[in-house]
Amino acid sequence: MRKDRIKKILVEHGAADHNLTSSVLKRLDNLPVENIIPDFPGQRHDFQDMDKETLRLIKFKGEVLKPCPGTRGYICCGYQILHVGTNCPLDCSYCILQAYFNQPSLRIFVNLEDELIRIGQIIDSHPDKIFRIGTGEFTDSLALDHVAGWSDILPHFFTARKNAVLELKTKTERIEGLLTSQYRDRIIVSWSLNSPYIVSKEEHGAPSIKKRLLAAKRCQAEGFTLGFHFDPMIQHPEWKEDYMRTIEMIDRFIDPKGIIWISLGCLRYMPALKSIIRRRHPGTHILDGEFVRGLDGKMRYFKPIRMEIYSFIGEVIKKWYNDPGLYLCMESDEIWHKSLGWSPENTDGLSLYLDKRVIEFFG
Amino acid sequence: MDDIWHILRDGPILLNIDDIKEKPGPYTISFGFDLRPLVRSIREFGLINAPIVTRGEDGCMDIVAGYRRIMALRSLRWKKVPCIDLSDSGLEPLELLLFNLHDNISTRRFNDVEKGMVLNRLIPFIPGKEIREHYMPLLDISNTMNLDILIRLEELDTQIKESIADGTLSLNATRLILDMDNRSRTAIFKWISNVKLNFNHQIQFIEYSTDISIKEEKSISELLDEEQISRLLEDKRTNNPQKAKHVLDLLRSRRSPFLTRSEKTFKKNISGLNLPQGVRIQHPPFFESPEYRLEILFRDGKELKEKIDSLAQIDRLKKVGDPWQEDS
Ligand code: SF4
Repeated sequence: MRKDRIKKILVEHGAADHNLTSSVLKRLDNLPVENIIPDFPGQRHDFQDMDKETLRLIKFKGEVLKPCPGTRGYICCGYQILHVGTNCPLDCSYCILQAYFNQPSLRIFVNLEDELIRIGQIIDSHPDKIFRIGTGEFTDSLALDHVAGWSDILPHFFTARKNAVLELKTKTERIEGLLTSQYRDRIIVSWSLNSPYIVSKEEHGAPSIKKRLLAAKRCQAEGFTLGFHFDPMIQHPEWKEDYMRTIEMIDRFIDPKGIIWISLGCLRYMPALKSIIRRRHPGTHILDGEFVRGLDGKMRYFKPIRMEIYSFIGEVIKKWYNDPGLYLCMESDEIWHKSLGWSPENTDGLSLYLDKRVIEFFG
Repeated sequence: MDDIWHILRDGPILLNIDDIKEKPGPYTISFGFDLRPLVRSIREFGLINAPIVTRGEDGCMDIVAGYRRIMALRSLRWKKVPCIDLSDSGLEPLELLLFNLHDNISTRRFNDVEKGMVLNRLIPFIPGKEIREHYMPLLDISNTMNLDILIRLEELDTQIKESIADGTLSLNATRLILDMDNRSRTAIFKWISNVKLNFNHQIQFIEYSTDISIKEEKSISELLDEEQISRLLEDKRTNNPQKAKHVLDLLRSRRSPFLTRSEKTFKKNISGLNLPQGVRIQHPPFFESPEYRLEILFRDGKELKEKIDSLAQIDRLKKVGDPWQEDS
């Protein structure tokens, strides 16, 4: 994995007094630190490289826990996003965060612990609802764990709650923090997987599939529940054989009984991201496929192509293990039926299906 | 600025036109104008306002204001020009630039190339924040994203700049061709200008060409030079709108062969149904939603019933559906 390239730390006004700030500064005590006034909303930056060499410690003023925005016309998993930071040190060519060029740098929200008190109240006041919460939507959940120490803060908060689970989604091998924590219950460590071809060409700075799976294997051996996400799946020469290699590797390293779910999602992107990808990754072929504008305005593969990808991968996974908790990310009822042979019909249906998996695994 | 009024009051001096630089230089901001009316006016009434100049570091005269007038005078073969010389005014380069900028802004709108020229001349002197907050509104630039494009327009070939200046090449299309190699940009521009593609078509044409060139790992100029494509441009039997349609159809089918094949199969299937007059069946955009649409035009209930009855007789209606099913 690419070495940390953080060269300086910016502490935004209002962030200095937080415990998380002190612990980050202690961990990175060899780096220059500057106190700055926060950006005003909409302020424009010209960081074409996203300024991943700078770490900003920020008191986040928005909603820290938000439902996954979902998208019109497609079935959403009903996940909740815990906003712990944005951007990550990796540089995947398809990363949606490239479009947020007005939010440069690696960003850690230092008021997380204060916000957790409020989030705890929300979770506790809805005992009949299962909160599936993840931190991997706007950043990699573990890539900055050695800096932010999220694995010191989050696991015990979730272990203590019977109607919530925390999913930490990563492409990295940064599991040291998790392994040293004493908590396992209600924590899902999940890996984003792809074909070895896409990993080597498009996931810059990310560990190989084998390394990810070895990290997963260790977590499994240490008692963690696992999840996997084939997202974004991308057509490329010999994609079928190549994705099968990844599934064969999962078979080699992982006991399927400990996998709570495996999601599948094809590459999709906001139209504005295309020119950014072209500019930041001039040699990439990820945009070569036949993309059309979806019902939500995002570009997706032409429907029969998506159906072929899902049917193929779904079939291979189900042949490997018959109860993998397979689901599609942001797809229509029609695609579910035609690719996987059943459909949860809508977002409530998919939420229910995933909630049941949570109950099966964690009670 | 006291000095300048002094000098202006003192009036012009006569300079050899050859001592004045031909290139626009650091102060002038005129591009893409029609010189003919000015030439006519000077021929009829003479030169009413003297151009303003200042001595550059190389000893020759840079034009501060009146670039077009000097060009008109050159075309009229004047040898001497009355000019106001600001060499000893003590004015800094930025002041000279602002003098010309405000002189122009009060009388006309700048085209995009000229806006780029203004920005390029201001950038060495003025911080980015001030440019965004003060000069963007002054120059009527609404989108910050356009700043990066405007300042790069001067790099382009004159012909392309002229099309931007006269509004026939859109700024969005220009954004897409800026980073291309010169040959590819010229090949794209040849199509846009010869066929007079409208703004939407310009974007489609560039995007299809770029996507295909990356996918097939060939340059855009190689792609557009292909016999199959260049033949469309040369075809004497087709007019510009037809050429535009043909080339866009061809590029689209090469960019998205599966989708275009599906659309064609669907169209063929529907036309084979012999639907009653005024009845149409359409597929959803890109076949993304699962629902097809039936449209019946009718004047009254009687006609509607007749059309529904005759539709009910068409047994092959049952086969209407996703066209790729037959493909596979
Ligand atoms: S790991 Fe995720 S957040 Fe990081 S660059 Fe890749 S896609 Fe973006």
